[in-house]
Amino acid sequence: MVVYGRLDGRATLFQLRYAKPPGYNEVPPRRRTANIAVSQNSSAGVSPTPFANDGGEAFETSVRQLIANGKSRIALENAKQFHKTNPTAASESLLLDAYLARVQALLDQNLASEAKSLLELVRERFPAAKRRLDNLGVAASVRSGDLAGLLQPLNDPQLDPVRRSAIEQIIQTQITDLNALADCASLPPEHSLRQAAAAVERAFNAVTSGPVTEEQIALPEVSHRSPLAPWKFLIRAIACFHRGADDLCRECLAGIKPESVPSRLIPALQKMLGMNGAAALKASESALVSQVNVNLAELRAALANLDHAFAKEDEGHVFKAMRVAVRECQRSAPDRLAILRQIVSVRGKAGGLDPGRLEGALDGAAREDAAFFRMYALAIESSGDPDDLVEACEEWNNFRRHALREGLFRSDGVEAAILYLHMADVLKGIPRGLLKDVQRSGQWGRKPAAGEDRYFLYPDQLYARSCAIDPHPEAFSQWLRWAASQSVSEAEKVAREWHKLRPGDIDPLLYLMDRSEKRNAFPAALSYLEKAERIDAVHSAVRAARLRLLAAGAMRDLQRKKAHLAMEKLELMMTLPQSQQGDRSAFLAALRLLICVSSADKTGAAAARAETETLLGGSLSAGFLVFGIASVAKRLDFVSLPDAKDIGRENRAAIPACLARVMAIAKDFGITKFQLPVSYFAEAEKQFPQVSDSLDVEQIRSLGEMGMATGHPKLAWAASGAGLKRGGPDEAYFTLLRARAAPPDLATRFLALAAAAAELGRFHRDAKIVDQAVEIGRNPLGGESFPLTIEQAREVVRKEIASPAFPSAFKPGPDYRELLHKNLCQCPDCSRRRGETPGPFDEEDYEDFNELTDKEMRDLFNEQVPEEIPPDIADMFFEIMKDAFRSGESPNKIIDQILGGVSGGGRGKKKKGRRK
Amino acid sequence: MIANEVLGVPANASEEEIRAAYVGKVKEFPPDRSPREFEGIRDAYETLRDPRKRAMAMLLSASFAAPLVSLIEGHQSRRVFAGPRPWREVLKTK
Repeated sequence: MVVYGRLDGRATLFQLRYAKPPGYNEVPPRRRTANIAVSQNSSAGVSPTPFANDGGEAFETSVRQLIANGKSRIALENAKQFHKTNPTAASESLLLDAYLARVQALLDQNLASEAKSLLELVRERFPAAKRRLDNLGVAASVRSGDLAGLLQPLNDPQLDPVRRSAIEQIIQTQITDLNALADCASLPPEHSLRQAAAAVERAFNAVTSGPVTEEQIALPEVSHRSPLAPWKFLIRAIACFHRGADDLCRECLAGIKPESVPSRLIPALQKMLGMNGAAALKASESALVSQVNVNLAELRAALANLDHAFAKEDEGHVFKAMRVAVRECQRSAPDRLAILRQIVSVRGKAGGLDPGRLEGALDGAAREDAAFFRMYALAIESSGDPDDLVEACEEWNNFRRHALREGLFRSDGVEAAILYLHMADVLKGIPRGLLKDVQRSGQWGRKPAAGEDRYFLYPDQLYARSCAIDPHPEAFSQWLRWAASQSVSEAEKVAREWHKLRPGDIDPLLYLMDRSEKRNAFPAALSYLEKAERIDAVHSAVRAARLRLLAAGAMRDLQRKKAHLAMEKLELMMTLPQSQQGDRSAFLAALRLLICVSSADKTGAAAARAETETLLGGSLSAGFLVFGIASVAKRLDFVSLPDAKDIGRENRAAIPACLARVMAIAKDFGITKFQLPVSYFAEAEKQFPQVSDSLDVEQIRSLGEMGMATGHPKLAWAASGAGLKRGGPDEAYFTLLRARAAPPDLATRFLALAAAAAELGRFHRDAKIVDQAVEIGRNPLGGESFPLTIEQAREVVRKEIASPAFPSAFKPGPDYRELLHKNLCQCPDCSRRRGETPGPFDEEDYEDFNELTDKEMRDLFNEQVPEEIPPDIADMFFEIMKDAFRSGESPNKIIDQILGGVSGGGRGKKKKGRRK
Repeated sequence: MIANEVLGVPANASEEEIRAAYVGKVKEFPPDRSPREFEGIRDAYETLRDPRKRAMAMLLSASFAAPLVSLIEGHQSRRVFAGPRPWREVLKTK
């Protein structure tokens, strides 16, 4: 039955034919000459020939050789000629073989209709060869998509297994059109083969068109014994390939039967997997590889070039690189084009590129969806420019609108709440005056539409919206911090709102308590404290507050001359366990002394005095503490201290330590208005160097703070020096203290100290010190603080330890100019803020000089050159200046060198700057 | 890398999906053998399981400033779904 086959030796039909049982093929072996094996045997003279003479035998051999060599057309012509001149049974057999070879060749060339026509002709001429011709006819039909003849026998349940196997072999090795198989009318629609073919066709289309699920490629309709089983392996291999599971893909390829139709894709897939030893590809295979496995090298280069152009801020280069990148993306990664357009559009718009040109270069507008507005808002706010921040908030609002529309989150979702907080955070970067202006007039680039809700310009509305959606302590905390920076009443309003919505939070109560305490509204403060105690009685702030509020209340009662009320509070304080910690009992004893004095209880006063002196280890500390409490209670009439000069030398030497101890007690009770006679601070300054080694770090810190608080910077300076000598994690604090104590006219030393404190704070992970150091390093001179390395910061500390004396204009101490010059911003604005005089070219973005065109440089030069210089000399000077600029010399230096000697520095013209 | 990309879950993944993805990743990169990867996985999980952190990460994840090449990062070549036609052309050719 299967007598057709390829003549190039690649097809497997010969194997199939030889596999058939003897006798099945009705054509005798000698007659099966339309194949290489027989032809070769024939040419080798193995079989006897019916030709009587050698010439006929030789001719037959030559024709069969032509057939074997694929020259079927010439072979047919020769066989016709031979049969015409010498018609014998042998010549007829030869002619038939030649016809069959020709038909097979036409089939191989996909000329199925021509093959069928020729076959009909042969069938008419050689009716005896019906079986051979029928088989070839089936092959032609298969090739032309007409499978009815092939599949018809499968309807017969009694079909010979060998014949069934042969048909299935054809299906497996010949049929590429699964649609034709699925639609073949000679089989009923429910036939398993049609069902399997339809399922394979669907899966094949799906797996080559996009990502597929396991369900899509499971193909339960195709059993492992089905002639379509190799397709299952192929489809799975393609799916694994697209999923990037290359190892699995290789395993699936290995499962495909070598002779099956799906095996034809193995070389191309192996090539795409980068497998070594993959065979050379045919044209169709190469086309497949180039369409499926797109090389991204050119796109990568184009994107890198566009990044480079953006970094250089070269507009022409940017647009050119943009066009190339978009074109390459359209070609090799069209699915990334939308996001590329969005990113580039965001960068371009944020960089001030013309929107029309931008759209042209991108070959279309970027899709303005939530993702776009989110990127755009981030890009704008990253500039930090106050005007941009206003616009950023508007863009965040656009993002919110699009995100709601796209269903990214709900209007009452936590994402919306976080977005409102972020917008409020962005608004914090806008100076209050500017924000007020914008809120009033809407001048931020466009006029507001009628009825437009501009909530995004009002931090209070943003915080309120956020807290209404998600009343989270952190959100309220941010709102409260912002409100506190606006006004006390605003902050109290927020704290009350917080307490109302989250009555279990202690923070708003502590804030309200603190504010009441500061207003001397002690009953209100105590009321808030009681609420706070009900929430968390052991909270450190609550425990400290109870003692502090009672102490403040008692001192207030003393001031109001209500000693009995003060005594009641003192008794209450005595019952608190925390009142017995540290030097607190000394404070209570000192308070009792004053109450006793107020109520004329001499005995009690004497006992309290003795107790205070015992607890503090001497009369000096006790005197300071009693004097300080009396000063807060405004009852200095109760107590007096001698002048510092009038106490003994030993007591004078103890002043720094005593002051430090008493100040620590005052701080513990939250007392800030603690007063002592001025003579003691002056004496402390004098005594400090002699006793500093005997003080601990906490005492030195207290003295330093006291020095700053009482206007004795020399004491703070001396304390900072002593503290720096101790080293350790406190070095950041003492460096900052030294910066604060430095005379205001020593800007360089101050900046170096502040910068060193910030860096040391970072090193010791002390955020508070870092914040303070950065803040004081920025504010006094109006410019940004500058960074030091940790080595540079330590060098500053070493120099400071070596220079303990308080600096003056005559003895300024270590010179940090070189250090600052390396690190300070040299732009004209910053130079001017530091009190330096910018040079004429400093008005420009001088780092751009290398980017100036000759014309721009000439214009600048003409503005500088004195009118009395002859044009030819000016030209010569210009060339010198141009060369010097190009070689990187300082503009000021060059202009001085060139023009200074000629014009006497007469550069009177005001020069225009090139601004980006 | 964005947290949901680290765990390989969609942006709107449920808590169960996030948890399952986290467990799967930890099995793949256990802390004793891949400490660095594990740290990233844990951070991503911490971000995704906290709705506020997750929302903030979502807001700030836009990568307009990242190198454009990152759009095709990790690919020397790109596998494109070209449709069935070019595949069929190869199948038709013996």
